[in-house]
Amino acid sequence: MTSFLHIDPSLTTPEIHFDLEKAQFSIKGSSYPENSLKFYQPVVQYLADLVNTHTPDPAKTFILDVELQYFNTSTAKVLLDILRYFEQLYEKGQPVKVRWLYLEDDTEMEDAGLDYQTAVKLPFELVALHEEA
Amino acid sequence: MNVSYEHRTLFRYEGPLDMQLLPQIVKSAEQLLIGEKVRTPLRRKIISILIELAQNVIHYGIHNHPLANPTISLTRGGDDIVLSISNPIHVSQELFLRTYIENLLSMSKDEQNALYQNVLTKSDYTDSGGAGLGILQVLIKSDSFSYKIEPLGQEHAYFTITATFHTNNS
Repeated sequence: MTSFLHIDPSLTTPEIHFDLEKAQFSIKGSSYPENSLKFYQPVVQYLADLVNTHTPDPAKTFILDVELQYFNTSTAKVLLDILRYFEQLYEKGQPVKVRWLYLEDDTEMEDAGLDYQTAVKLPFELVALHEEA
Repeated sequence: MNVSYEHRTLFRYEGPLDMQLLPQIVKSAEQLLIGEKVRTPLRRKIISILIELAQNVIHYGIHNHPLANPTISLTRGGDDIVLSISNPIHVSQELFLRTYIENLLSMSKDEQNALYQNVLTKSDYTDSGGAGLGILQVLIKSDSFSYKIEPLGQEHAYFTITATFHTNNS
């Protein structure tokens, strides 16, 4: 499988940057595409392949950064699917850490992060950012 | 003592709605809320709901109706920001919408939150939306919620959702 996945951001979709070599994965921007399943299909496929082929490397920690400004409910469902793939990798022995980044007074996004933190069994850190990018 | 506030229109759009236009509407509404000094958490909450409801219109509404267009408005009355979104629907959708919304309205906030979590984590996903999460999210996040369905010719109706947000809560 390819170790690298990059999708440029648009007004309604986030930047996706997955780099297996660096163990860094990020989803950043707004996410309210017309069809979330279609937009995230390459991401889901990438992760499905990764779960099937990856040999856990305890020396590396996969970092998934999620930094979203807005996301719609259909994205909310897909995000959970994405986290479930990382959960599978974690269960197979791959160290994983999710960092949910939100603007420090954005309680909406903080609450959303707390919901996901509860929904998955993964090391999950909520990170308050002090300034709007 | 009765206190009444005149509602001031911050933003109003009436016309065809699609995914090309929505980001422009989001940007305009966001700038106007910043101008109104609406704090970030509430501003993002309102915009999230605007996006959700507008996408419901795009996915489920009747397009190119000769008598009525979708309408999005943001008004301010005192400390309240009121978001209202209307669109033509087919009369066959009316019973489903009434039943669905009335069922949600009969629930407490805790029950609505539990349902949201349940749908989010357990239900099947659909292409066009988040398995009915949109209206539920509006109910959970707004300070008050109302809807109306008015006749629009013989085959259609005009569906309006109004969500109110208190700026002094944020």
